[in-house]
Amino acid sequence: MDHASRVYESILEMLPSEQNPSPLVRLNRLTPEGSELWAKLEWMNPFGSVKDRAASALIEAMERDGRLAPGRSIVEPTSGNTGLSLAAIAAVKGYGMRAVVPNKVPLEKKALLKLAGAELDVINDNLCPSPGMGDGAIGMARTHAKAQPDRYVMPNQYENRANVEAHIRTTGPEIWRQTQGKITHLFTSLGTCGTVTGCATFLKQQNPRVKIIAVQPSEGHDVPGIRNKNELHVTKLYDESLIDEVIEIDFERAYTGALELARHEGLLAGPSSGLIFEGARVVASREPVGMGVMIFCDNIFKYMSSMLKHLPALKEGTEA
Amino acid sequence: MSGYADTNVLVSTDWVKANLGRPGIRLVEVDVDTKAFDAGHIKGAVGFNWQTQLQDQVRRDIPTKAEFERLLSQAGVSNADTVILYGDNNNWFAAYAFWLFKLYGHKDVRLMNGGRAKWLAEDDKELTVEPTRVTPTTYSASEPDLSLRALVADVLAAVKTRSANLVDVRSPDEFSGKVIAPPGMTETAQRAGHIPGARSVPWASAVQKDGTFKSIDELREIYLKGAAVDPARPTIAYCRIGERSSHTWFVLRYLLGLKDVKNYDGSWTEYGSMVGVPIER
Repeated sequence: MDHASRVYESILEMLPSEQNPSPLVRLNRLTPEGSELWAKLEWMNPFGSVKDRAASALIEAMERDGRLAPGRSIVEPTSGNTGLSLAAIAAVKGYGMRAVVPNKVPLEKKALLKLAGAELDVINDNLCPSPGMGDGAIGMARTHAKAQPDRYVMPNQYENRANVEAHIRTTGPEIWRQTQGKITHLFTSLGTCGTVTGCATFLKQQNPRVKIIAVQPSEGHDVPGIRNKNELHVTKLYDESLIDEVIEIDFERAYTGALELARHEGLLAGPSSGLIFEGARVVASREPVGMGVMIFCDNIFKYMSSMLKHLPALKEGTEA
Repeated sequence: MSGYADTNVLVSTDWVKANLGRPGIRLVEVDVDTKAFDAGHIKGAVGFNWQTQLQDQVRRDIPTKAEFERLLSQAGVSNADTVILYGDNNNWFAAYAFWLFKLYGHKDVRLMNGGRAKWLAEDDKELTVEPTRVTPTTYSASEPDLSLRALVADVLAAVKTRSANLVDVRSPDEFSGKVIAPPGMTETAQRAGHIPGARSVPWASAVQKDGTFKSIDELREIYLKGAAVDPARPTIAYCRIGERSSHTWFVLRYLLGLKDVKNYDGSWTEYGSMVGVPIER
C-alpha cells in the first residue's frame, strides 16, 4: 500500500488513517478577520463521508468478537451515510446489509443505499412528539436483530464504543498531525456523537485547552443526519463533559451556509457542513480563533433535493 | 403498578415473558407501523392491522359487531381469554384496540406496560418471525357499549352546556391551530384549532421515558390538578383520528378511575371539518 502513488489493491486500503488523512483545507474568503478556519473534507474518504471511519471500525469489531462472519448480515438504523459505508464495506467483504432509514432521509441517500446493495426498510419517524423510546428506525433494526439472531447482527452505532474509538485512533491524530498541534478550536455537529466524543478525547489529551464546540440545528430542524441536543436520547456516546460550548444555529442556515461555501470557497459541502461553518463563523466573529478545524461530514451531491426544497431559487432557469 | 384504580388492566414485560405460551392468554400486537409485526413479534402473538382490520372498510366507523367477531374468531381468541395487547409508539393503537375490546364487552383485556419498545430494549426478551399457528374460535361480542364512545352529538352537547371535561391530547401545535396535523399525516381536517373549552394535555404526558405509565400521583397531578379535569363530571378525550386519545382514555378511565370517560374517535378530523361548529384557537 503506497499512499504517495495512490495505487491500491482494494478500495478498503483507502480508508483514512494518520498515514492517509482526509484533506484539511483552509477557508480563505469566508473567515472573519483575525481568525483561521480549516475544513476537514470527510467526503474524500472512499465511500464519501465521515462515517467510513465508524463503519469500518464497527465491522472490524464485530469480526473480532465473532458476531460477523460470511453468510451473515448487518442490520443498522441509519440516516444514510453510515448505511452507505457499511453496505459498501459489506459488499467488499461478502456480508449482507439491511438499512433501516427514517422516511425524511433524502431520496438520493435511499437510492444510494439500494445501489450499494443494501436491503431497505423505510420507517415513518416522528409521528408525534414522543418521549424517549419512539425512535422507529432504531426499533425496527433492533426488531430484525432480535427476531432473526442467526441472520442479523446490529452494530448499533449509537451505543458501540468502536464508533468513538475510530475517531480516537484516526480523526483525532490526523488533525493533531495536520495542524502540527496548533489547533485551538474543533467544530463538529452532533449525531451519534462518535466524532465529537472521539476527537475531543484525543485532542484534549494532547492539549486540554483545545476548545470543543458542538454546532446544533434549531429545534424542529430539517437537516439530515444530525441532531439537536433534545434528540440525543438515542445515543449513549454523548459526553457533555468533553464539550466546551454548544452553539445553536437556525437550521435554514445549513443550506445557505452550504451555498456560500460552494460559491466563495469552491467547497461543495453538504448542509451539515454548512451548519458547522455557520457555528464556526459565529465563534470567530466573537473571539479570535487561532486555528479552527471544522469537520465537514460529506458533500452536497446527496442533498440536491433538500437544497432545492430550502433554496427554491436554485430551480430557476434550469429548464429551456 | 400499585395505586392505579384498576389493577387488572396492565401487565409488565416480565409478566408476559413468564406467561408465554400459557393457555388462556392471547397476545395481540397492534402497531402504527403495520410492517413491524412481520419483522418480528413476541412468540405466540397475532397481529392486527389497524388500517384494514380495526376500522370499517366502507363507512368511517369502528368495525361492526359481526366484523369484530370474525376478526377475533380467525385470530383464535375466545371470550374467556386474557388478551394482552401491545404495540409500537407507546401502545397508541394497542390502546385503541383495548378500547374496541372493552366496547365490544371483552371481559379480560390488558395492555403490556411500555409496549413494544420496552420489550425491544430488554436483553432477555426475544422476538420471532415465525407465524403463530391459530385454531379458529367462535367469538361472540356484546352490543357496543356506547358509554365508552363519544359521537359528534355528544361533543356538541358538551360544548353547548359546558358540562364535560374535554381533553385534547394532540401536540401543542395542533391544539393552538398552528398546524392541522403533524407533518406528513394524510388524515387531516379543513380547519385548525381545538374544541371550545378543551384542555391541552398531550398524550405523552402520561408516560415515562421507558414508555411505561407514570405513577398514580404524577397522573393525578397532571390531569386532575394541572389540567383541572373534574372527576365528578363526564370526560371526553379526543385527538386527530382517535388512537392517541384511546391512550389517554385508558389513563383517565382505568388508571385514574374516572367513572364516565368517553373516547371521541371521530376526533379532530371530524370536528375540524364540520360546517358551522365553534372552534377555538
